[in-house]
Amino acid sequence: MATATVVAAERTTVRADPGPGIKPKGWIGLLFIAPNLLGVIAFTLIPLISVIVLAFTDWNLVSGLGGIKFNGLDNFIAIARDPGFWSAVGLTLVYVGVSVPLTVMLGLGLGIALNRPLPGRAVLRAIFFLPYIVNIVAIGMTWLMLMNPKAGLVNQVLDVFGLQPGWFASSHWALPALIVMAVWGGVGYCSLIYLSALQDAPRQLYEAADIDGAGVWAKFRVITWPSLLPTTIFLLVTLIIGASQGFGLIALITAGGPGDSTTTISYYMYQTGFQFYRFGYASAIGLVTFVGVLVLTLVTWRAQRGRALHD
Amino acid sequence: MRRKRFSRREVLAGLGAGALASVVPGCSGGGARSAVLQVWGGVPAASGPANVVKAFEQRFPQYKVNYTRFVNDARGNLKLDTALQGGVDIDVYFTYSPASLALRAGSGLAVDLTDRVTQDPQLKVFLDTDQPRAYLDNGRVKALATAREPFFVLFNEKLRQQAGVDLPQQWTIDEYRATAKKLTTANTIGAYTVPDVARIALGPNYWYDGDRSNFGDPHFEQNFRIGQDMIREGSAFPWTEVLARHLDSYQQNSFLGEEFHLWSTAPFNLRYLYDPKKFPHDFKVSFAPPPTVDGQDWNGGSYNNFVMVNPKSPKVDAAWEFVKFWLTEGSTPMLAGGKLPTLGNVTDDQVLTGMLGKEPEKYFDVDSFRRVVLDAEPKLATDTRLAGFPEITLAVKQQKDLCWLGEKDPGAAIREVRRVADAAIARNERSS
Repeated sequence: MATATVVAAERTTVRADPGPGIKPKGWIGLLFIAPNLLGVIAFTLIPLISVIVLAFTDWNLVSGLGGIKFNGLDNFIAIARDPGFWSAVGLTLVYVGVSVPLTVMLGLGLGIALNRPLPGRAVLRAIFFLPYIVNIVAIGMTWLMLMNPKAGLVNQVLDVFGLQPGWFASSHWALPALIVMAVWGGVGYCSLIYLSALQDAPRQLYEAADIDGAGVWAKFRVITWPSLLPTTIFLLVTLIIGASQGFGLIALITAGGPGDSTTTISYYMYQTGFQFYRFGYASAIGLVTFVGVLVLTLVTWRAQRGRALHD
Repeated sequence: MRRKRFSRREVLAGLGAGALASVVPGCSGGGARSAVLQVWGGVPAASGPANVVKAFEQRFPQYKVNYTRFVNDARGNLKLDTALQGGVDIDVYFTYSPASLALRAGSGLAVDLTDRVTQDPQLKVFLDTDQPRAYLDNGRVKALATAREPFFVLFNEKLRQQAGVDLPQQWTIDEYRATAKKLTTANTIGAYTVPDVARIALGPNYWYDGDRSNFGDPHFEQNFRIGQDMIREGSAFPWTEVLARHLDSYQQNSFLGEEFHLWSTAPFNLRYLYDPKKFPHDFKVSFAPPPTVDGQDWNGGSYNNFVMVNPKSPKVDAAWEFVKFWLTEGSTPMLAGGKLPTLGNVTDDQVLTGMLGKEPEKYFDVDSFRRVVLDAEPKLATDTRLAGFPEITLAVKQQKDLCWLGEKDPGAAIREVRRVADAAIARNERSS
């Protein structure tokens, strides 16, 4: 207690007398964050404002800034009537709606499993986390080979059960294949976050539950799950945002096909902007998507309010 | 020791200088104009351009040229577009896709070459509008095709002789299908795919009919249907394999691996067939012309590889000198990359050794090459109407995939293409 008082007093002294040459002015703090701030302005703020402005224009990039023609709400009216856009919205909802809950559920299960004393637990944790840090091109190419409908390992195994999905060579199976890959890539990350949350779970409640004779399921339902709820919401929000913007694997493996079966909203936006050179329309799609994801995030966020376990 | 205190102004000035220093090098490519002629193209320098540049510098020692290669895909073209817009030092550049041609020419990114072409008798052919070799924007010449790319059908001679099939000198699309069927064995599929039936029947601008699309023409559905039928009967490569293995970009590997027999392709793929070290194989290759459709014989190929001069270039005269050299006396080295010069100003022997390697007889049936490539005068179809071109290209590809995977009826697929194409054309014509 006495030591704490001394340290606090020293801190106060430093604050009162900063010493020669050091001025506790706000701009010094700015100086430190300046490089990052410049990056945010150049690579986030300016593009964001540009997208908002361009959403109300007809522009093809090649014509230069002089070629920008403001067209009011035309882009948004066109979006409302665009079957390609609504198809992409539907596919994105399926992709997000299936891959995110699956990733979180499996991540939770894995997190709980890896939280128990197991032989080689550290190695197992590293193995499960590996997909999250491996290069996306390597992942894509590996899965492309694994899921080859004729010679791939996956179908050789499934053949035992009489199943032969076409995976990336079928408009019915391409999206499920991407979901499998997304789940595989995200589970390790989720389990790691859950693991750290499980370390913080209140031990005394488990002890009390043991004394009361509560079973495994009862302890999970009443203690574990409520204590993990903030983590779950964090994962849901970040994964929803990430999956809504999912682009890399689609661009690499399916290019939105076969047909338009994997043309999610982010890939549709890319096609519109960078293949059709309709940058105004693509910006409008971006803006609508931004609002959609924001709403989805807020709904998820609000759903957990008051349900978390607080110490 | 006394520490120096920096004033707020000094720190801000330092920050500003730092920021400027970090920004200026990034802009140096944009602002500064070098004395060297800057040329951007999609063909790797080693496949011909480096030798064109070398020959040009020898012929015109007063000029120096720097050739920069961009990858001719969506990202590479975007890089070129932003470079052109951003004022990067580019004097001459190449355009390969029709969609980019229309965009760049229509957006003030190409010098009007009409007067220069008109004044030069050697280049008169570029004013021909029946089989256009130049891209005209509102009647003005904005781009010149440097290469002609006729299509042909390649045969694996070893497998052809084993199957006892005659090398066709003229054939119909039905005969093509029958031949593919005959060549199909337990180990080798008859053909990779079907030549573009509608293109052969309809020629240039075949997607357009007045102010609408032309997909009501039955040849489009016929093309999808023949492909679907051939895949079903096993005489064309299964589309599931094509998509699952991303085979469209690596067709040569499957041809060299004798996975399929008939290969409808163009000269740029010949480079894979005479390099035994990189692409080993033990068979000769022979040539047949593309099949005809309903008596029509448009070749699926076109005049291509359009060269353009950047209007922001301060060296337009030097740039034109280079363009003219590439088109005329400097065109020979490009044969190595499979680029037949538009003006045809090369000898047969130069074409033979340029396109078929140092030992043509070893890897090719040279007689059939002479007959199909050197002596024939294929009708090349170069599109000049390009409204909604990228949207239509994508719609055709998407529906073809569904059709050839056996998931969609060709009639329904073409109706969907037609819907997308009509909308794309209407929107483009409205906004232009």
